[in-house]
Amino acid sequence: MVRVTIDDHELEVEAGSTILQAAQSLGIEIPTFCYMKRLPPLASCRMCLVEIAGLRRLQPACATAVADGMAVRTNTPLIEETRSSMLDMLLANHPLDCPVCDKGGECELQDMVMAYGPRRSGFRDPKRVFHSHDIRLSPVIIMNVNRCIQCQRCVRMCEEVVGAVALGTVEKGMDTAVTGFEGSLASCDQCGNCVEVCPVGALMSFPYRYKARPWDLVETDTVCPHCGTGCQLTVGSRKGEFMRVRSKEEHGVNRETLCVRGRFGLDFVASRDRIRSPMIRRDGALAPISWDEAGAYLRRRLSEVGEKSAGGLVSPRLPNEVIYQFQKLMRTVFRTNSVDCSSRWVMPFDMLGPLARFYTRAPLQEVLGSDRVLVVGGNVTEENPVTEYLLRDSVRRRRVQLLILSARPSRLDADARAVLRVRPGAETVALAAVLAELTAAAGQVPGDHTSNGGSAASADDGRQRLAAALLDGKRATVFVSVDLLRSPQSRATLQQLDSLLQLLQALGKNPQMQFLFDRANQLGAWDMGALPMAFPGWRDVADSTARASLEQAWRAEVSAVPGADFGAMLDLCEQGRMGALYIVGSDPLASFPDRGLVQRGLGAADLLIVQDAYLTETAALADVVLPASGYGEETGTFTSNEGRVQKISKFREPPFEARNNLTIFDFVATLRDKVLQPSSPDEVFDEIARLVPAYQGLTRQELGPDGAFTKAAPVSPAAGGAVSPPPQDVGNGLVLVTGNGLFHNGYLSERSEILNTVADEPYVEMSSQDASRLGLIDGSPVVVRSARSELTAKLKVNRHFPEGLVFVPENYIALRLNALMRRGEYPCPVEIEPAHTSLTAAAAAGTRPLELDI
Amino acid sequence: MGMREKIEAAAGRYPDRRSAIMPALLIAQKEHGHLPGPVLEEVADVLGVERIWVYELATFYTLFHTEPVGMFHLQLCDNVSCMLRGAEALLAHMEAVLGIGKGGTTSDGLFTLSTVECLGACEMAPVMQVGDDYHGDLDVARIDTLLDHLRRAGSGVPLAPRAGA
Amino acid sequence: MSERVLLRNVDVPDGHLISAYEAGGGYRALAKALREHTPDEIIELVKNSNLRGRGGAGFPTGMKWSFVPKQANKPKYLCCNADEGEPGTFKDRIIMERDPHQLIEGMAISAYAIGAETAYVYVRGEYVLAIRRLEQAIAEAHAKGYLGTRILGADFNFTVHVHCGAGAYICGEETAMLDSLEGKRAQPRLKPPFPAVAGLYASPTVINNVETLVCVPHIVSRGADWFRGIGPDKSPGPKLYCVSGQVRRPGLYELPMGIPLRELVDEHAGGALQGRKVKAVIPGGVSASVIPESGLDVRMDFDSLAAVGSMLGSAGVIVIDDTTCMVKVATRIVEFFHHESCGKCTPCREGLNWVFKVLRRIEAGQGAPDDIEQLQGLCKGIFGNTFCALGDGAAMGLRAALAHFEHEFTAHIEEHRCPFH
Ligand SMILES: Cc1cc2nc3c(=O)[nH]c(=O)nc-3n(C[C@H](O)[C@H](O)[C@H](O)COP(=O)(O)O)c2cc1C
Ligand code: SF4
Ligand code: FES
Repeated sequence: MVRVTIDDHELEVEAGSTILQAAQSLGIEIPTFCYMKRLPPLASCRMCLVEIAGLRRLQPACATAVADGMAVRTNTPLIEETRSSMLDMLLANHPLDCPVCDKGGECELQDMVMAYGPRRSGFRDPKRVFHSHDIRLSPVIIMNVNRCIQCQRCVRMCEEVVGAVALGTVEKGMDTAVTGFEGSLASCDQCGNCVEVCPVGALMSFPYRYKARPWDLVETDTVCPHCGTGCQLTVGSRKGEFMRVRSKEEHGVNRETLCVRGRFGLDFVASRDRIRSPMIRRDGALAPISWDEAGAYLRRRLSEVGEKSAGGLVSPRLPNEVIYQFQKLMRTVFRTNSVDCSSRWVMPFDMLGPLARFYTRAPLQEVLGSDRVLVVGGNVTEENPVTEYLLRDSVRRRRVQLLILSARPSRLDADARAVLRVRPGAETVALAAVLAELTAAAGQVPGDHTSNGGSAASADDGRQRLAAALLDGKRATVFVSVDLLRSPQSRATLQQLDSLLQLLQALGKNPQMQFLFDRANQLGAWDMGALPMAFPGWRDVADSTARASLEQAWRAEVSAVPGADFGAMLDLCEQGRMGALYIVGSDPLASFPDRGLVQRGLGAADLLIVQDAYLTETAALADVVLPASGYGEETGTFTSNEGRVQKISKFREPPFEARNNLTIFDFVATLRDKVLQPSSPDEVFDEIARLVPAYQGLTRQELGPDGAFTKAAPVSPAAGGAVSPPPQDVGNGLVLVTGNGLFHNGYLSERSEILNTVADEPYVEMSSQDASRLGLIDGSPVVVRSARSELTAKLKVNRHFPEGLVFVPENYIALRLNALMRRGEYPCPVEIEPAHTSLTAAAAAGTRPLELDI
Repeated sequence: MGMREKIEAAAGRYPDRRSAIMPALLIAQKEHGHLPGPVLEEVADVLGVERIWVYELATFYTLFHTEPVGMFHLQLCDNVSCMLRGAEALLAHMEAVLGIGKGGTTSDGLFTLSTVECLGACEMAPVMQVGDDYHGDLDVARIDTLLDHLRRAGSGVPLAPRAGA
Repeated sequence: MSERVLLRNVDVPDGHLISAYEAGGGYRALAKALREHTPDEIIELVKNSNLRGRGGAGFPTGMKWSFVPKQANKPKYLCCNADEGEPGTFKDRIIMERDPHQLIEGMAISAYAIGAETAYVYVRGEYVLAIRRLEQAIAEAHAKGYLGTRILGADFNFTVHVHCGAGAYICGEETAMLDSLEGKRAQPRLKPPFPAVAGLYASPTVINNVETLVCVPHIVSRGADWFRGIGPDKSPGPKLYCVSGQVRRPGLYELPMGIPLRELVDEHAGGALQGRKVKAVIPGGVSASVIPESGLDVRMDFDSLAAVGSMLGSAGVIVIDDTTCMVKVATRIVEFFHHESCGKCTPCREGLNWVFKVLRRIEAGQGAPDDIEQLQGLCKGIFGNTFCALGDGAAMGLRAALAHFEHEFTAHIEEHRCPFH
């Protein structure tokens, strides 16, 4: 600690802090432009110059470290004159076109001139003009170079935080301009973080352009619905219409950043494929009716189903309150534990318990405080972009060693200390091998196994480096992509993970773990008990104490028999044993990795109820369709991957006949002559806080702007010890895996016009070796064929891809990717050939536009 | 050696391939005369670096040209020492003789006329650089001789030995 | 005229070849250094010589070297600053063209002293001949074992690479040069960390000017006392002066540090052109403030020039006679800085542009009465507040021109024309 004096206030700050930080801690404001909290100082704008006793020149507060005994002044006449002079110079060439500038009213330059600027300027020469027209750098980013003040925040954001390195600075001196390669950002991430950090109206959002003045906007703080990172965002709407999204520097795991989905992908709220009114199937087609009629119809159909088994599927994108209430509805009104929340994989519940011990419900920043971070599976760059920004930051600025074990390459590989590239499906074996290596190495003298520095490491090498790095580290954090759950081997994989965590524990590495969910409320959905084997709070349905307390609270009987997961529900349907299947906010026909099975199953249920905001493919098959509120139309909470519960807010009214999800549950309960108390989101939250251990004691009021953390649930430990992985044959042909792309993660993103504009058309990604072996040309159409079906899409050669790996993003509905898949077989063996050899088949299978039979 | 090999050789001199962007651009410009987008992309690909980095450098440094220049680039220094020795009059003379303004290129593509900052040869001011060569102690007569010489060289007429080049 | 040391080979026919250099006793200092001295002794020797950097700032060279950490698990680098962009300066070019081995020998000894195995010579791209000669000389030196591994049998490996600049004055600023070497836009870096600790590729790096480095072999062979015996004790040694402009014998002169400017201009360079009078002299490249004729008795060394508000800089001496308009000179200088501003910091990028626009207007006879006040205000906003010394130099130079020749500025404004036309 060092003692410094700032404007006569004495204080102690940590050595190495800057004057700016010290002043901020005293509440003394020092103006800045180029400074960005999350990056090292640039000190180029010279707004923050201050006086230091004993030094002739003014010094930049943003970049000057405090020294013991230093005396700083931040408000002398000289400083005021200097600030005013800097602003005067900036204004000399700045076009004063504030009335037509999107930034007018929330412009840092305007504010700064107001606070510190000159009241008149002697400048009378013509201003510099780069271009008379604004330049459309990409579908979503537009630039007015004349307004740029060269703070470089955008360029640094793009390179250092996002890692895209798409923006740059061309020319020099007065001609310096920010732009993309050859004046275009057509192939960047389109995250718009450059727009967010631009202090003036130089970089602007094209979709928001000329749409509103900031003071016209009603701003609502909420949480992004697109992935589990849980970024906070501020929605601006005008007269109830969605206008834009911004992020706030002060709040959330993301601070000022977002990814393209969060920043530009919220326009889905105005999507036109909303369900307008309740519908029932009449003569094979869906026909609109009133809520009353729907009630009468449903009451009859439900009584026909009687006590025959029921099942429910709820989307992990819905708020905790909705999910909680849905499982309660299924458990108490439908008397079944068959509730699930994933249409894409099976969560082996018996592994949930053991892993819960390690799940660290804490801020990502804190979890990233370990000196070793291992990411297992997935592609965090595309699935959880903002998490990836933080990972990159921890590597680059805090010297965390990043280790990656995955089948899919990602941009983050470049920052990793060791990358163990595995064949899809071989994650289990690879984890077992790392475990073995670590066990062996731990037996040796520590420090004996330093990395050998090789670059193009073989798998063996990667495994050794990875194990060595873990062993050398003090603390280890493991991030697990939910990709691993897609595999039929997921149980074995999770067992290996558990063993690894236990070993790290035994080695004193204090392991921490978090899942990298790709759905906004996946952790919440598990917590809320949308699981066939578990009650809210990850408690086994066989746990009689838990059951008793729930029965008492719910004043209803609850079954102790484990329910069916969604796959098993489909089996029941096929066997003619499913009475009512109730699907809320989920589109399994498009997402379950066996389209044929879903089609048969949904058709065979006695009664299919679909409650959704959008007319999905699944809804089109329903007997009864109930229009529900969408995102932004009801309040509630999400639980992020970090275990942080955050409020989601309402910023628009449900359109047409849509009703809140909770209201609809009440409605359905009464149709079975039951009452489902309570029914407002706030009351449901209170009940969750009473009955779900990890949420105990939380109140909605206390979920401040940064949310609140749930507690790790106390769970019964499972039998430990490393289990050897089952022998498996992943073969050596081409295998198809799927997942999210940067611009799409399904359902919601598919309904965003902007995301559809920026997203590539559907593509098939594979290695250059495979492509050239098969004579396939980058960018040309290819046919991917499995035992089940085939599709046609554009080939994208990725030189980082390993041989054998084929990736097709799962979220292009028209592609019907899941038609290629068969349950229990993932990754999916495929063959690929140029499209021209089977044009007709391609037209039939892949590129046919979506048609609904209504 | 082809362009790729030359760039690889340059890259071998640095521990980081990004460092080789400047030498690579000089090599590429020698090869192509100037640096249009596809050439910048090729440089980025050969070095395996970000395209925008290549673009940044190609525009930051004055010796790189993203637009075509004439066969002979007449770069007259008009910084202080040369200015004091009459560079302005020489510029006016060349503009008149060539019929182009500063920054222009003659219609036959032979000459581009520019003024440049100090060439570091003030002892022989006024100075002009053409291609790799410096021409110093210039006056109108010498300029005329030089232009004449270049014109013939450019149109394929065999060169007479040059004095003072 | 005193003995020529640094320039002793420049007029030797084929003096750029290694044979000529060796014949004149070349590379003996390197042999002596490797055989008779430890690296620390060389640093001590250079410290004792009081050699100060010839690139402009005059920082004590031995002290700079001593900042390089002795134990470091990173490679160390030597960078030779041969960017020579300061208008009025051409000394480094002449050395590289005509005596490149002298520079290579100087680099080898310096690298040995600081423990570097790799050096980059950053030569401005226009210097095609110098680059060719240097590359040739490096190849020759390799062939003869003055570069490479186990040089002259000693436990010392050293390679030199030439890095061509591509036209940007700011690359002469040492930290901008490092960014340029790393393949980035050349913009100055924040200090600390200082290059000696974390420079090129974040490794310990010493940056020295060509002339500084060529002094080193002579200090090794003749001793620190010899060096200190030439010129003022605090700023000693043989010095290269580049004389240009309106003077009879422009050229490169090697004379002791500290000779009076008047002697240099009048006696060595032959004084003003026929029938004219010297009006002012810029003593150290255009970054140095102009000195009016009345001040020419100042001595040409770092401290004496600083004392009169100017600087030795690169010793680019530009002579201006009484037929020349000072407003025009000042405008051209500001134009240069405005053009060469890297664009990083506000006051330099925006301020100089503004200054240039105002000056251009004044020069064209369209000045307004409050323009001078505005220029003064701008100088105040720029000076001391820029990121690197480029902006400072520009503002300081303009202030000096305004101070000494205000009447010429006011004449332009009042008469709405240039009185020299
Ligand atoms: C704008 C600017 C331009 C410079 N240009 C040069 C140059 O062309 N050559 C040079 O040797 N030093 C130049 N310098 C000085 C260098 O930054 C640095 O001080 C010098 O190379 C150190 O070497 P020395 O200690 O041997 O003088 C320049 C400095 C500034 C601020
Ligand atoms: S003073 Fe500022 S803008 Fe000018 S050259 Fe230095 S850093 Fe660049
Ligand atoms: S904030 Fe310190 S210089 Fe810009």
